[in-house]
Amino acid sequence: MVTSVQATVATGSSRESRAKNVRGGVRGRWSNMLYVAPYLSLYVTLLIYPLFAGFWLSLHKADFFGGSRFVGLQNFVRLFHDKVFLGAVGNTFYFILLTVPALALIGLALALALNRTTRSAAVLRGVFFSSSVLSVTIVTLLWRVVFAPDNGFIANLLHHFDKPSIPFLSDENLALPAIGITTIWWCLGLPMMLFLAALQQVPRELYEAAALDNAGRWKTFWHVTRPSIRRTFALVVIIEVVLQFQLFGQAQLMTLGGPNNASRPMVLFIYEVGFNRWDVGYAVAAGQILFGLILIAALAQYLVARRKEAF
Amino acid sequence: MAAQVASGAVGRGLGDRLILSATIGLAIVMLIPMLWAVGLSIKSNAELLVDTNSVLHAPWTLKNYADIIVGSQVFRWLLNSIIVSTGMSLGVLILSSLAGYGFARLEFPGRNIIFVLVLFGLAIPEQAVIIVRHQLFSALDLHNTYPGLMLPGMSAPFGVFLMTQYFRAIPVEIDEAALLDNASRFQIFWRVLLPMTLPAQATLGIYTFLHSWNDYWWPLVSGTNERMYTMTVGIAATQINFAESAGLGYLMAQAVFGSLPVLIVYMFFQKYIVRAVSGAAA
Amino acid sequence: MPGIELKNVTKAFGAATVIDNVSLSIRPHEFMVFLGPSGCGKSTLLRMIAGLESVDAGEIWIGDRRVDQLAPGERRVAMVFQHYALYPHMTVRENMSFGLRNVRLAEVEIVKRVASAARMLEIDHLLERKPGQISGGQRQRVAIGRAIVKEPQLFLFDEPLSNLDAALRVRTRLEIAQLHQRIEAAIVFVTHDQVEAMTLAHRIVVMNNRRIEQIGTPMEIYSRPATTFVAGFVGTPAMNFISASLVESGNGFASVCLPDGALVETHIDKASLPASQSFKLGIRAECVDICEIGQGNTAGTAHFVERLGDRTLIYVRLADGATVVAEDAGDSRVQLNDQVGIKFNGAAGHLFDDQERGHHAAQDARG
Repeated sequence: MVTSVQATVATGSSRESRAKNVRGGVRGRWSNMLYVAPYLSLYVTLLIYPLFAGFWLSLHKADFFGGSRFVGLQNFVRLFHDKVFLGAVGNTFYFILLTVPALALIGLALALALNRTTRSAAVLRGVFFSSSVLSVTIVTLLWRVVFAPDNGFIANLLHHFDKPSIPFLSDENLALPAIGITTIWWCLGLPMMLFLAALQQVPRELYEAAALDNAGRWKTFWHVTRPSIRRTFALVVIIEVVLQFQLFGQAQLMTLGGPNNASRPMVLFIYEVGFNRWDVGYAVAAGQILFGLILIAALAQYLVARRKEAF
Repeated sequence: MAAQVASGAVGRGLGDRLILSATIGLAIVMLIPMLWAVGLSIKSNAELLVDTNSVLHAPWTLKNYADIIVGSQVFRWLLNSIIVSTGMSLGVLILSSLAGYGFARLEFPGRNIIFVLVLFGLAIPEQAVIIVRHQLFSALDLHNTYPGLMLPGMSAPFGVFLMTQYFRAIPVEIDEAALLDNASRFQIFWRVLLPMTLPAQATLGIYTFLHSWNDYWWPLVSGTNERMYTMTVGIAATQINFAESAGLGYLMAQAVFGSLPVLIVYMFFQKYIVRAVSGAAA
Repeated sequence: MPGIELKNVTKAFGAATVIDNVSLSIRPHEFMVFLGPSGCGKSTLLRMIAGLESVDAGEIWIGDRRVDQLAPGERRVAMVFQHYALYPHMTVRENMSFGLRNVRLAEVEIVKRVASAARMLEIDHLLERKPGQISGGQRQRVAIGRAIVKEPQLFLFDEPLSNLDAALRVRTRLEIAQLHQRIEAAIVFVTHDQVEAMTLAHRIVVMNNRRIEQIGTPMEIYSRPATTFVAGFVGTPAMNFISASLVESGNGFASVCLPDGALVETHIDKASLPASQSFKLGIRAECVDICEIGQGNTAGTAHFVERLGDRTLIYVRLADGATVVAEDAGDSRVQLNDQVGIKFNGAAGHLFDDQERGHHAAQDARG
């Protein structure tokens, strides 16, 4: 049977045509938007609109009678001169320095210690993670009765050794660290779990090779484990920084931001200005600054982490 | 598991035991606040007023819990939390699944741009929008309502992001087989793809439920009426009147009561919760 | 049952042309194989017939219906996917019924068709199981069953055997051939395995680089390959290609001279050859014999010997360094590094010009 080669090299007869939807054109495509429309409508009204309305609002000042007038950047100028706000910014940064390294390092240590298949390791992991599922209001209540200077758990312990009680929450220098301890207790679970997941991705052969190379526990950690989880470490730090920038409940309930503004973080400032004093424009402006700081911090860490990997 | 240290590795015995002991010690320290709270809750208020060390010895009593069952608002708070969290989770699951399918599988004008814009939303913290949201809901008269408590949480992009990724991971061949089987786009979604996403739904549902249950700021400023307190707000409210409250034991019993639902769920669904929370972050 | 017609079908992704002006026809009840290496476009062409890829230009006809603008479900075609694409959360029965339910077929009819297909494929005991609970070979049968119950006008198979292990592949090949005898529809089967193509096809479409190289029956493809690609792609071991230049010859047939000086007389009509600068002599291993030195066309050293049991392949290095594969008896005594004589069966030789087109003897003359 004689056959012939039908196809030829088309020298310019092939035209570029847009792929048509098999169902026949543009109509089908628009109706597909119905799937994303419900979510998008919520997204726009409750996230996008408030964000941009906030920008606008931060340029206004609410006056006593419920109206508002355009004041340009005055709110921001006021914020830069507001000692309480600046103190809050400082407190927030200080708090992050207190908690994030501890969370990352203790989380890593726990993950290393509990990366076993034994039943006791599973139980212990469960214990360390359990605090993370509680709400902030319960956590603060628990720790207030631990910190309470007269009859708290720590006070009782100190009295047992004939030591005087420590006024954790009413001492200017101790308030924020006390909140820090509460927060570390509360948030330890997440870093631990993230590190555990990362550790389990490390190929077993690397550890076996190290064992055959007579590497001790520390050397194995430094040369095998540490490089493999570097990215996770950066991720944990970024996550925790963003999280702790948003400190609110613990400060509001345990110390009310005191004593003497020593433990007021930025979010508590925003809450008080916005919902107690109803100086809405001012509060939103502070919120913008917080948003900006979080973005910068996250971006900076991301870039640093990327650069380090380039080596 | 890829790299869990075999406990039989030679020469590691002593170091391992030390580490284990230290970890157990730390675990006990971790449990102290919870144990202390439980201890306080099973003592009578009168005794505690005198000396809280009385926790350590008898008599212990369940009177505080009895008082709760009789007169506390805890049940009201529990009900509100259940309604809001369940509603929000269902809403998120439905909206995210529909949108995830749309972004992953369907063509429409501007799809890629819109998706990127939704992703940007992941970076927006609550504090940047909460005040305007509050004003908006005041204008719409949505405060102190269940929808008012549920809606803000449903606008978060995380669920859409998760479901879109999950749908994208399903081989397109399945869609194609269904197309050849004469299924409409909606039938492909409803009868073929959606049932395949059950693990993602479980993760997202649990994560949203937990997140909603523990949410504090929004219910605080939107559910200001005592009737609408969620569990978190209720517990916070009782804390404010710490000193003049109905007694330390009663207060702690409320806290224990408030934690029980979450802790019970945690005990049974620990695996899912851990996966949900760590998957969410990463 | 109708035939299939592709007319000047073209597809482009942006600036890259993926299918270029392809035309072919498939006869009713024909088993047509699209054969070619990865990336040649065979799967794309199949998917265009199915409606899973759009057609940018040209027409596709199934019988007297033009289908290239219809939705996949409306074309009355069924497809068996490479990885089966079974719905994982549905039972086997539900997998097979899904398509029929969507077209509102009567429940009684659905049950009947599913039962009959299940019986034919011997999967009736698996009907209540889920795809995750059955083996790979069984999953493939379910995929075939899902296609059968639709009673389509055309069956499409997208590399269905590539996921099976060797033994299962041979068995399934047989079953697919038997299946074809039992149904009335035409089959289009895509594969990169030339053995599958040769054993199953009525006709083969050999594709390379998004173009059709040749359409023909298996024997045509094998004994009269249109291009060097087809000649080298089909047949194991691959055809020998040796540089050759035309020399004077007494009869009307072309004679060529090989680089090492050997002379080979073909049965190809000299007048039919184009004025080409260089030719390649194409000759299959089974037409190259081992003989005593001095008795054949040329000689060389055996630098590799493959004993396959029923035959032995001897790789002979010629004086100019080129390698020729010769086929000897299964009990061949040739050893590594032996000097051997080569005898070419010139009547079975092909000549490929510098455009890579094949020229063959007038009739199939071997021996």
